[in-house]
Amino acid sequence: MTTVLVLLLLLAAGTYLVAVLEAWTASGRFRLAGPVVAGIALLGREFIVPRKPDRIFFEVAPVLLLLSALLAAAVVPLTPDLIITDLATGALFINAALVYVLVALLMAGWGPNGAYAMIGGWRFLGQLIAYAMLIVMPITAVVMRAESLLTTRIVASQAGLWNIVYQPLGFMLFFVAAMALAFLPPFDLPTAKAELAGGVEAEYSGVRLAIFRLGRLALIVTLAAAAVVFYLGGWQGPWLPPWAWSAIKILAVCATMLLAGRAMPRVRDADLLHWCWILGIPLALLNIFLVGLLVLVLP
Amino acid sequence: MIAGARQGKLSGLRRLTALAMARDLRAFIVPGADIARAHGLDIEAAGMQVVASPRHASVLLVVGVIPPALREAAAVIYAQMMRPRALFVLGPDELDQLPEADIREDLSQQDLIRGVRRLRSAFAEGAFRPDVADFDAPVLHVRIQYTCPMHPEVVQDEPGSCPKCGMNLVAREAPATAGHTHADQPELIVDADTHATPAQDHAAQHGMNHDAPAEYTCPMHPEVVQNEPGSCPECGMNLELRETKGTKSHEDAGISPDSDHSSMDHNHMDHGDMAFMSMVGVTKDLPRSSDGLPMDWIDVPFGPFFPGLPGGLLLTLTLDGDTVAGSSVQTPGGNEELLQHSALDAGSFIERLAKVEPLAPVSYRLLACRATENAAGVEVPAATACARVGALERERIASHLGWLALFGQQTGFDWLQRCAASLQLKVQNAGIRQVLALKPDIAFLIKRLHRTPLLKSRTAGVGRLAPNAALRGPVARAAGIGNDARSTDPSYAALGFTPVCREGCDALARLQVRVEEITHGLALIVAAGAIELPAPINIGEASGAGEAAVETPRGVARLRLTLEKGRVTAAQLETPSTLHLALIDPLIKQLALGDALLAIGSLDLAPWEVRQ
Repeated sequence: MTTVLVLLLLLAAGTYLVAVLEAWTASGRFRLAGPVVAGIALLGREFIVPRKPDRIFFEVAPVLLLLSALLAAAVVPLTPDLIITDLATGALFINAALVYVLVALLMAGWGPNGAYAMIGGWRFLGQLIAYAMLIVMPITAVVMRAESLLTTRIVASQAGLWNIVYQPLGFMLFFVAAMALAFLPPFDLPTAKAELAGGVEAEYSGVRLAIFRLGRLALIVTLAAAAVVFYLGGWQGPWLPPWAWSAIKILAVCATMLLAGRAMPRVRDADLLHWCWILGIPLALLNIFLVGLLVLVLP
Repeated sequence: MIAGARQGKLSGLRRLTALAMARDLRAFIVPGADIARAHGLDIEAAGMQVVASPRHASVLLVVGVIPPALREAAAVIYAQMMRPRALFVLGPDELDQLPEADIREDLSQQDLIRGVRRLRSAFAEGAFRPDVADFDAPVLHVRIQYTCPMHPEVVQDEPGSCPKCGMNLVAREAPATAGHTHADQPELIVDADTHATPAQDHAAQHGMNHDAPAEYTCPMHPEVVQNEPGSCPECGMNLELRETKGTKSHEDAGISPDSDHSSMDHNHMDHGDMAFMSMVGVTKDLPRSSDGLPMDWIDVPFGPFFPGLPGGLLLTLTLDGDTVAGSSVQTPGGNEELLQHSALDAGSFIERLAKVEPLAPVSYRLLACRATENAAGVEVPAATACARVGALERERIASHLGWLALFGQQTGFDWLQRCAASLQLKVQNAGIRQVLALKPDIAFLIKRLHRTPLLKSRTAGVGRLAPNAALRGPVARAAGIGNDARSTDPSYAALGFTPVCREGCDALARLQVRVEEITHGLALIVAAGAIELPAPINIGEASGAGEAAVETPRGVARLRLTLEKGRVTAAQLETPSTLHLALIDPLIKQLALGDALLAIGSLDLAPWEVRQ
């Protein structure tokens, strides 16, 4: 129970820092109090229900987005002991939990009965077809090396050499796919501000908007944490305590994810699909093959 | 105190949220960020965040004059915003439909900053009020009509039964003339940006059962089944004869074949309690797009205040999935009245024309000056002509930077948006020294733009326009047409001018032409050696006819006018955007939504200069 609370608090803290980071990268202003002010302000603002909504979808979507990020976070270890549940199928569970991100976004797109939101929701379905294989296939290679789906074992397997060095190709594919899953720029097709006026976010206001944004930030933190566990040696590192290494690495990955997209235009949805299938999947297969060879050759 | 306060007492936690709201001002700009920048306003620097959806805004920021055609849309935007919401008007404009402005200031950055300060205290003190009145405007009212679900041609204002089938008529909203409909409760207001026409009861059209096992049944209520004819106890409609069990009647499934796509709005996706529908049946009569996939066609408004498109552009796209099947585009107009006047003296005429186009005031001022001078037969000294070229090129640089900012916004390229916008604000009214001091910053922007990943693949091949006579300005030069109004201008020839040309004909070539013209313009300013706003020269009581052409940042604008004793009695204006507007529909047909918007953006339209 205490682990759960501690982890939730840590996740909240991470989310907050990511919110500050995101505002910084987006507006160029560093305001430590920015997210809390924006959050409180949203609590006091009106929540508008658009006309003829699918009320259940509309209300559930933000909560589901937050929940799926929290669920995935449950199997991510911050230290050898600081993990909510060390499932025997941990690595697969992350992937399973994150599938609900798609469901949440489709619901958020359909629910408000608005064209911008709906197009955004369907765009994300297309995006899933692009990124889904590139999440699973690199994880496969990671699991091959660890010979276990336990996330703690995966971290332990990187004791000598982090996976980012052992399988750099896998890391790059996972990183890009994670950004597409978190619909971060340049993959922000479902929420494109100037194409869809906010897309799936466009009709949310007040508290629900706050929850939606919170869910998205939590998703970024969770994905960064997963990348750290799979590729950056988790809590491992010299001098500092394990939790500090986890925190530093997660924040660094978050910052990279947030900054990467600011310096380029949004990809076209057709291009994203094209590249992921023509280029990404063969590369992911190659990665699996190479890791297989390494596992056989290296002791 | 703000008129759009939220109902309730300001106490306890609410006081805290009110304080937070006062610090966290989110503005939706009407008519658009491009206009705000053209007026020299830096909204973010003044302490407000700019949002893309009115739902996320707490401040409606109105910049400058809003033509009557756009006031309804502005009222709809206001109605969509979360309460507490404030109306902040910069400029002298009267806005019918909208409530009285909460804060009104003049159009300048200092006044904007002062207004934001006042806005903060208004939110802190007046975000909640127990006695708040609902916002009410004529545009938000809907008329209820009654229609027969089976016979759409039957429409009346009172409830009753259908003269054709006896069925009880169902209520629906009367289609609005302006293309928007709205319930009168703000919470229930239709998002004018997302819904084009009112929704009809979908279930009534599709909820048909094909397998009724008995002889007489109601077409609307399949559970009503009896052996003899009669009327339905639920809706009063005459029961219909069913021949055999399991017969499928095809004509009752799906949308009636005579309905054209313009009536197929989002209503087909309304979430009624739909019975099972066969996808084949539902889609069999839908229009097909190029990929052969039948989908609901929906009309989606992208404007007049859509982020990423020029403010004031009234664009509606008919979307088939996310492919553009058709479009209609309008502009607010409004400059008609600026030109129709009773014999203005030359000075006021020039001032007036300079206001025709907020996005390029210097070009139009120059155009008016040149035309009057031409009519009066006045020769302008070479030094003045040269300094005017400096001013025109400065405006071209600022305008292209503004376009880059809009392009950055549209493509989600935040860095470009911020960087280009701040440079535009610095350049547009700067003296020659300041402009030249900005050279390294501009060079850095261009250098980084060349190295931006994805930029080429995003823009190459999008919005291809073969060279033709309707192209103007950078769009023409991107299609290899090199002779613009500057080529024949002696003052440009003196500065060693050669136009920038590309052969690509697409959005990428237009981007490259604009970027190169920025560097090019800086070189011309250096050669000109001075920047001087065109000022009217005393023409006395001269009479005559004259004409002039000026290469504005968007292409050549021509003006013909007649002078009688120093007064302008007739004027005729031809602008580049008028021609470009007609290109939109064929340009974007069958493009994906993102590409279509990019293609429209690449034309750099100025809705304000279009005459309809």
